[in-house]
Amino acid sequence: MKSKILIGLLTLSTLLACSKLEENPDALLVSEQFYLNEGQALSAVTGTYRKLYESGQSIYNGLFQIGVEMATDDYEAGPRARNAHVRAISGLTHDESNDRMEQLWKQSYDAINASNLNIKNIEAMAEGQISPAIKTRLINEAKFLRALHYFNLVRWFGDVPLIVEPVASLSGEQLYVSKATEAEVYTHIENDLIQAESLPNYLDYGEKDRGRASKGAAKSLLSKVYLTQQKWELARNKAKEVIDEEGYGLFESYADVFAVDKKNGKEHIFSAQFQGNSGYQGNSLAGRSAPADIPGINGDYSDALHAEGLLYQSFESQDTRLPITFTTGKVSPTNGQYYALSKPQFNKYYDESVVGNQSQSSKNLSIIRYAEVLLIYAEAENELTAAPTTSAIDALNSVRSRAKASLYTGGSTKDGFRELVFEERRKELVYEYQRWFDLVRRGVDYYIAKLHAAKKTQAAARHIHFPTPQRELNLNPNLKQHPDWINY
Amino acid sequence: MKINGVWGYSWLFLLSLLATLSAQGQQTSPIINASLVGKVIDATTREPIEGATVQLEAVTHSVKTDAEGQFQFVTGQKLPFAVTVSYVGYEQQKLVISISPTVIELEPKISGLDEVVVVGYGAIKRKDLTGSVASLPNELLKQNVSSLDQALKGGISGVQVTQTSGQPGGGVSIRIRGGASIQGGNEPLYVIDGFPVYNQTENTGVGSGATINPLASINPSDIESIEVLKDASATAIYGSRGANGVVLVTTKKGSAGGAKLTYDGSLGSQSVIKTIDVLGARDFATLRNEVLFDANPSRGQYQYLSQNDVDALGEGTNWQKQAFRTAPIRNHQLSLTGGGDRVKYFLGANYFDQEGVIVNTDFKRLGFRSNIDARPYERLTIGANLSLNRTQAQIAPSGIVNSLLIMPPTATVYEADGSYTLRNPFENIFANPIATLLETTNEQVGLRTLGTGFAQYDILDGLQLKVLLGVDLNTRTDKFYLPSYIYEGSVNNGRANLGSLDYYSWLNENTLTYNKSFNNHNLNVLLGFTQQEARNAIFGAGAENFVTDELLYNSLQSGSTLLRPESGAYAWVLHSFLSRINYNYKNKYYASASIRRDGSSRFGTNNKWGNFPSLAFSWRASEETFVKENLSFLNDLKLRTSFGTTGNLEIGQYQSLSTLYALNYLIGGNIATGFASQRIPNENLGWETTYQYDAGIDFSFFRNRFQFTFDWYYKKTEDLLLNVEIPWTSGYASSLQNYGSVENKGVEFNLRSRNIEGEFSWSTDLNLSFNRNKVLSIGNGSSYITGNYIIQVGKPLGTFYGTATDGILQQGEEAEKGVYTGNATPKAGDRLYKDIDGDGKFTTANDRTIIGDAQPNYFFGITNTFNYKGIDLSFLIQGSVGNQILNMNRQALEMFTGQQNASSDALQRWTAANPSQDYPRAKLDPAPIFSDRFVEDGSFVRVKSLQFGYTIPKGWTKNTLSNLRLYVTGQNLITWTKYSGFDPEVTSGNNVQIGVDQGIYPASKSFSVGASITF
Repeated sequence: MKSKILIGLLTLSTLLACSKLEENPDALLVSEQFYLNEGQALSAVTGTYRKLYESGQSIYNGLFQIGVEMATDDYEAGPRARNAHVRAISGLTHDESNDRMEQLWKQSYDAINASNLNIKNIEAMAEGQISPAIKTRLINEAKFLRALHYFNLVRWFGDVPLIVEPVASLSGEQLYVSKATEAEVYTHIENDLIQAESLPNYLDYGEKDRGRASKGAAKSLLSKVYLTQQKWELARNKAKEVIDEEGYGLFESYADVFAVDKKNGKEHIFSAQFQGNSGYQGNSLAGRSAPADIPGINGDYSDALHAEGLLYQSFESQDTRLPITFTTGKVSPTNGQYYALSKPQFNKYYDESVVGNQSQSSKNLSIIRYAEVLLIYAEAENELTAAPTTSAIDALNSVRSRAKASLYTGGSTKDGFRELVFEERRKELVYEYQRWFDLVRRGVDYYIAKLHAAKKTQAAARHIHFPTPQRELNLNPNLKQHPDWINY
Repeated sequence: MKINGVWGYSWLFLLSLLATLSAQGQQTSPIINASLVGKVIDATTREPIEGATVQLEAVTHSVKTDAEGQFQFVTGQKLPFAVTVSYVGYEQQKLVISISPTVIELEPKISGLDEVVVVGYGAIKRKDLTGSVASLPNELLKQNVSSLDQALKGGISGVQVTQTSGQPGGGVSIRIRGGASIQGGNEPLYVIDGFPVYNQTENTGVGSGATINPLASINPSDIESIEVLKDASATAIYGSRGANGVVLVTTKKGSAGGAKLTYDGSLGSQSVIKTIDVLGARDFATLRNEVLFDANPSRGQYQYLSQNDVDALGEGTNWQKQAFRTAPIRNHQLSLTGGGDRVKYFLGANYFDQEGVIVNTDFKRLGFRSNIDARPYERLTIGANLSLNRTQAQIAPSGIVNSLLIMPPTATVYEADGSYTLRNPFENIFANPIATLLETTNEQVGLRTLGTGFAQYDILDGLQLKVLLGVDLNTRTDKFYLPSYIYEGSVNNGRANLGSLDYYSWLNENTLTYNKSFNNHNLNVLLGFTQQEARNAIFGAGAENFVTDELLYNSLQSGSTLLRPESGAYAWVLHSFLSRINYNYKNKYYASASIRRDGSSRFGTNNKWGNFPSLAFSWRASEETFVKENLSFLNDLKLRTSFGTTGNLEIGQYQSLSTLYALNYLIGGNIATGFASQRIPNENLGWETTYQYDAGIDFSFFRNRFQFTFDWYYKKTEDLLLNVEIPWTSGYASSLQNYGSVENKGVEFNLRSRNIEGEFSWSTDLNLSFNRNKVLSIGNGSSYITGNYIIQVGKPLGTFYGTATDGILQQGEEAEKGVYTGNATPKAGDRLYKDIDGDGKFTTANDRTIIGDAQPNYFFGITNTFNYKGIDLSFLIQGSVGNQILNMNRQALEMFTGQQNASSDALQRWTAANPSQDYPRAKLDPAPIFSDRFVEDGSFVRVKSLQFGYTIPKGWTKNTLSNLRLYVTGQNLITWTKYSGFDPEVTSGNNVQIGVDQGIYPASKSFSVGASITF
């Protein structure tokens, strides 16, 4: 009897001795299991595209507006922008602890790390794992995205750490990187974009790959990188290549630029892709600017027009961009009543198909589009000559004529024409994340003059850069604050 | 079947060896029949004792006394008999009986020294304990609470219990000898009938608000005893899970004797302890007018309502009154217990139904338990403890309490047409809280089966093998629906979500125990191998845009917009080897050593295994002759000390791996799946290690009338699992590393005193605890700020970090002091803040300082119990002194914005006519600034629970019932505190953000009447 019992117990006690201590997650992938075939490489780069706006208030889904554009003469924190950090940026009282600026830094480097991982791991893939054409294309897509983020960073923060390899360990030399100079960063951006110029033309991408970075996107961005550095000739020539060779054009109607059924069309060179009601990929700018007090619209009204900047008044009355860019009142979907707004509100991304739920707007956000390339051309061409040339004037007028604005007929000096191009950029690209860059690349005096004229009198010299986040200075002994932001 | 490596084989070998050794056992059985008749009575009251066990020494034969205390033996032996008589609560008596019939008197047990205390993987007499183990007083197990952890409040020294939500079935936060972990878990390990259970709440991502406490799926009425293991000597046997202390829960077992059916039912009502004073409609409208005038003076003083309209307003809607209610609480417990020599059983069924003090919230539990012990062979004991429970709760959506406080009184619950008012009509948009409460479906339905079965075999005298198997099956469905006619649902035309959670864990424990006494040496050895595995899978799906709200969450396919489904899964495995040796010489000098070796799947490949040893010594000085002769009033004097190491592995799964996560992007207009890296791998990730030193003294005197226990401890937790912040330039924000340390040190007192004995008796049980918590080091740097808290070397966890107020800016001071308001255009009536960094101006970012902390100076509990004939009364007074609370509700209510309601203190706000130094002016658009104003003293003393019972004299019910007790109980009856919020017993449950009161479901007081009937 006894031995039977014991054997029974014995069996029981060992029956289950088969659990393992190694972790093999059922629902998660581990890095080592990835980049093994073409499909995985594609989805790794897809993940990097998503870093354009990953979740919540992210770079190309609101953060640019809140963390950057608020600090200009055209925008201010709306009545529903309750956050003290946002209001600080709007009033130019932000400091090195400002959380939105921290997010700009953080999210950009997160996206850069994703690109770095893509580039390194895809380069290491063997021939049998991925076709050479796709391999080169994916690496160049990642380089385009990396260049885009560095271009943002260097303009926001000035000198920044230049990290081009993925961080693989917690060692000090990998974590505590010092800043590279602006020139070094720009060189790297240019190199990335020059390589990305071998991407396919946007028309050569099939319908199923629309929205990916293309040759034209790389060239357009590169011309803008040159323009920002005042490398006028390179900028003009690169813009010209885009105009002559890439097959882009302006839509007939300004409204089509923001039409859901015209997405990734001939004018859209590179855009952040949005689709409402499909897993948190709605364009939140629509909700952020929509009226809050009209029954049934449920807007947020946290991004507002800074009326003192007189942007609205700067449009000619026949300008077709005016009713697309702004709304002055809406009909309530609940009670059919018309509600007039106390001041114009932005309307570019307002999506009629999701009236009460604008945060699910399906409108794309242009990162660079053909109209801007024309204006880059006009500006660079003008800088290279003593007086505006016909080609510069034509470029400007194609943008104006499409908008049904009066055409420029000559008579301006070089300086006068430069102002006209900048005013045109301002009106064409409202609420497309361009204003702050345009102000600061003209230098301190220009920035301060414009902001003071718009009664943002706190604007000072340091504001043409953002402070390096204090958190980063605390954690990284090799990092130094931007000189303008020390003892200001 | 597969045998796991060298260890598995060694185990097999060892067992086979023992099997061979033990092949010569013997059995005895009675030969002739004789009889012994007797009666067992209480020595003091002389009442008969029912259910006492009378056992003959020579054989294993035992009987139980009946309702008259009578017993009868038919046995194979002759007089005189050596018998052992025992009964719960009485001193065991060994005596020789030479006459039959006989009367045996049992002395009520008062010393407790011989009572057996459950410890890890065994049980031990209290006098033989070398570690710090506390038992929860029995009276406190009778409280009418939804989960067993709530019953621990105030009952045991060193155990701090704070409610995290007043939601019925909601959670509590427990810290045993202080919290140490910043990122890991701080809750103790619960061991229920041998099955280790963490009280972690799992989320399916569906629903809103509190998650139901997993321990609420265990019926507190089934519990026989709760022991709390505090020092390393007691907890090290739980190794990598012992650092936060261990709560051992033993459920009721059957006892031999006729079947006994007991019904216990109670019915009670609950209400909120207090409500918060806010403005009525007239005052609110005045405030709003004032605010709008201030923002836009050109539009005049009556931009909201004219003075006539304001005067016509009454008090408006009292939102708290609309939401709070007197809520019933019911409990029905039926248990059947009995058994014979060989088989004993306890069967219990329970129905608990608690409605919440907020409308449309509740918690219900329907449960069944079966505990069976059997001895099929002389040397074999088997047992099974099985409980099945279904819980169902309707949960208050998150943020609702905040909304109730700040919803303007001028708004109404319903519009004139009978439909719900959707939202706050003013700038600060949030939904009508009453509509949210009444119309949101926010249910959690849980089903839990927790069972352990064991077989224990006496291989040789003193040598036992025990094999235990257990399973914990826990499934939950979360159901959520937002109808289209309330604000939250109006945006999407109704939203439905369903979430499911499927958790299971299995356990196998194999232990060998050896007991041996020789020449005054007493030895107890434990050896064991255990393994536990758990798997969890979650799933969630949802849809929006419903044509009708009729179908709720029951028909996701009816929604025209389907939400992305989500699922996830994880698993963990723990392998352990354990051993303990208890030795004593002459029951005077004690030594105990234990070690556990744990291997966990959760850690880096370089750090899978950890060792957790402990060592303890004690000396029962009272056994020494010189003490007995010189200090004869002492019944017991014991000095103890222990040292040991325990661990904490509560970091979740896969934290050492460089895992990827899925994210989507639109390519070609279609959703494409992408993946991105989640973290930098860390192969060195390991345990948090806690070193604990404990020194204690136990003594009792005057015939054990006073029993006193004192403990001093020092706990240092190293290798904290810390999400060390790393530069964002790496692409990551932090990395989980073993970094930093925290210490807890303190003293604990416990006094049990029988103040008055006899027909009227009064006893007091007092515990008092002091704990000091301090951060010794953290990742990089000496401090970091997290929300309104700072973690700083030299300061305790739960340290508040914010601005310091400095009065109110008065007229004429604008130029001089305006820079201290933080406003670009300061105005008289703005709040002034201290310029901490001395840069001549105030900014929120730079002018913050430490403004308090949530750690109490001390906390205590006093239970008084009175008995007189059939009347019993006991009450627990509990308190905490010196802790502070962040009253974030008040911060919201002191923003006099006119966009939302404000505290009635708004009536004292600064105006030119009333230049207040305390309250700022009305302002449409103030930045919410966290300051020392909202740090309040959270000290309190309260009558935590009270029970008053009357047991109907036996004679009255003789023929029908064997026992009938009627009782009333109450919870949180009276509270003394200066805290201005709903209730001072409040915390977030977060490790670091301790003691914050922000929209938490308020605690309630309750009062119940009940009856306990034994048939």
